[in-house]
Amino acid sequence: MADSQTHETETRTEASQADVEPAARSEPDPQLLRALADLDNLRKRYERQLASASEAERARVTSLWLPVVDDLERALQHNDGEAGPILEGVRAVYDHAISLLARLGFDRFEDVGQPFDPARHEAVGTIEADAPPGSVVAAVRPGYEHVDEVIRPARVVVARARD
Amino acid sequence: MAKAVGIDLGTTNSVIATVEGGQPTVIPNAEGSRTTPSVVAFTEQGDRLVGQLARRQAILNPKGTITSVKRFIGRRYDEVETEIHTVAYDVVPGPDGAVRVKVHDKLYAPEEISAMILRKLADDAGKFLGERVTEAVITVPAYFNDAQRQATKDAGRIAGLDVLRIINEPTAAALAYGLDKKSSETVLVFDLGGGTFDVSILDVGDGVVEVRATAGDTHLGGDDFDRRLVDYLADEFQKENGIDLRKDPQALQRLFEAAEKAKVELSSVTQTQVNLPFITADANGPKHLVVTIMRSTFEQLTADLIERTMGPVQQAMADAKVTSADIDEVILVGGSTRIPAVQQLVRRLTGGKEPNMTVNPDEVVAVGAAIQAAIIKGEVKDVLLLDVTPLSLGVETLGGVSTKVIERNTTIPARRTEVFSTAEDNQSAVDVVVLQGERELAADNRVLGRFRLEGIRPAPRGVPQVEVTYDIDANGILNVSARDKDTGAEQRITISESSNLDKGEVERMVQDAERHRSEDARIREQVDARNELDAVAYQVERRLEELGDRVPSHERQRAEMLVADARQAVKENAPVDRMRSLSAELQQVYQSLVASRPADAGASPNGADQTAQPADDDDVIDADFTVS
Repeated sequence: MADSQTHETETRTEASQADVEPAARSEPDPQLLRALADLDNLRKRYERQLASASEAERARVTSLWLPVVDDLERALQHNDGEAGPILEGVRAVYDHAISLLARLGFDRFEDVGQPFDPARHEAVGTIEADAPPGSVVAAVRPGYEHVDEVIRPARVVVARARD
Repeated sequence: MAKAVGIDLGTTNSVIATVEGGQPTVIPNAEGSRTTPSVVAFTEQGDRLVGQLARRQAILNPKGTITSVKRFIGRRYDEVETEIHTVAYDVVPGPDGAVRVKVHDKLYAPEEISAMILRKLADDAGKFLGERVTEAVITVPAYFNDAQRQATKDAGRIAGLDVLRIINEPTAAALAYGLDKKSSETVLVFDLGGGTFDVSILDVGDGVVEVRATAGDTHLGGDDFDRRLVDYLADEFQKENGIDLRKDPQALQRLFEAAEKAKVELSSVTQTQVNLPFITADANGPKHLVVTIMRSTFEQLTADLIERTMGPVQQAMADAKVTSADIDEVILVGGSTRIPAVQQLVRRLTGGKEPNMTVNPDEVVAVGAAIQAAIIKGEVKDVLLLDVTPLSLGVETLGGVSTKVIERNTTIPARRTEVFSTAEDNQSAVDVVVLQGERELAADNRVLGRFRLEGIRPAPRGVPQVEVTYDIDANGILNVSARDKDTGAEQRITISESSNLDKGEVERMVQDAERHRSEDARIREQVDARNELDAVAYQVERRLEELGDRVPSHERQRAEMLVADARQAVKENAPVDRMRSLSAELQQVYQSLVASRPADAGASPNGADQTAQPADDDDVIDADFTVS
């Protein structure tokens, strides 16, 4: 291998650096242009993606914790009748969790009374109700949103017209 | 230029991918998911929804939510009468006995519904890529007949896409693994998706893929596995609590979600816990479902489902007239092939062959379609094939170590410049030894060339700045130049075959480095510690000289003693710890020598720390040339 290498040594000083070859102006290579354009587009997209990547990761991690908060909520609902120090404590834990989520920018919503919107809600059932047909009657699981983005849709029961 | 994409138009989910810079990539939809449910909904308000949003409102609008339309595309009404009962929407006979979907008194051809799915995929991909998507390769099951293929093509056209080609799903999977490049092979593709099971035997070779046989089960998939787990959990709960959770829609939904999660987990761990507190309540209070499921339990529950895949596999092999010994490659497609028991069965049926599953099985078909699209567009050929440097390129520095200038696997053309300095006072020349390899010691690497840069003006060590530039062009030709920033004197060498090693040699060198890594790291550490100690001893010595009598004698004595110790340690190549502690002490002495007295005019402003640590401001790094 080593003997197949060509070694060229030449000495240059500052003086000889002056004679730079004149830039040959010819038609740009289309392949080069395409590669450059590709690179530029890729760079722009990665800039966009980078900006949203940390947000997305935060949303992903947070949503993994949401079922735990759901369960706390269920625990409180099941105990509606009785009061007691344990219940108070659980409520405090739940309030803490909700305020922490809010601090991270994740707001809980149920949208009861609002018209059903598949961008925010996932329908799990319908019920005859006095509410306007097509509106959310109850949320069986709350939704969470971050600024304008729905992190998790609310699971809702929707009113249907009385027969 | 508009992008060509590959689309896996699935029964339950669809995926879109493209080739970019020679690499296939799956493109997420507007909701950020890499798969899009193949569902279209027409709401009573007159909206049309596609994908996840359509699925979310399905329960409100069963007649207006079209799922699994792939089961109807290109079929005649009388062919699909049994399928009609598996969907909630209305399927009616249309003109010439064709299938039509009836929604709110309007008739849609299945290809129109498929077109809406394709349109969403292409629109979302266009937004993501920042350019319109107009051309696509779409996949269909290998068993699709001409009418079904034509209808799929029409769906693409209705969606405004130029359908470059319709290709078979197993063919796409083989393309994703590059198997078309093999000379002559028999490939078995095992595709267990959400709701359908397909097995195909392919003949591949020299760029041609031929389907020799296919078989399957149009109603077997991951959903069936979920259902088994749900039933098991519900039965156990009922036995214990007397409550059937399946009668409570809310509880059932939680159960399905938990079952799917447990199924996925059991592919990587041997047991998992299903944890559903407050799943229901009776007079005695709330009830919780907390169950540990072993993988073995899951396997018992689903053993018959897995057995059901055996028949089609044997059928396809019989039809193709091959035995397990003839099969060269096995490819797994579909999320359910992640289930270990499925993989075991496939291994058993194919004579112990290790299946290919490095490409995500949910995406492999779309990836293959994208590759096909790129081949048709000539993009794969057109793309500038960018090479990488197979091995690192470095320069020999003080202590006989290799300091890397260009790391291995750097995409070329590439150009890197580092600034080095001298190791001795009044050093008039530096030797540049160009090294190739991953080892820490220069002697263990390949010497590509060497040259000497002379005429450096006399100066204390560390002061001269020699800029060394490594420049590899697209052809792998390496130009190394060294330039004295002070005088502008420059010297260069061209090495034409730096990347011309054969693959085995590269592999050997990389493995060598891997094997010697800890030993090399130790040597490197030793050399670095010695260089650092030597440098700081030098600085202290110089400082003492500069300050002369102004240093109190006790301080001078202590400093001189430390310098003597350091020299001794360097000479003896003392243990790293010893050298480091000496360095630290000398560093302290130096600091106090600098701090307590104003800097002497003759002292070089930055010469002091050049050799000790990289100076942030001028790129000087802590390595010096060997004395020439």
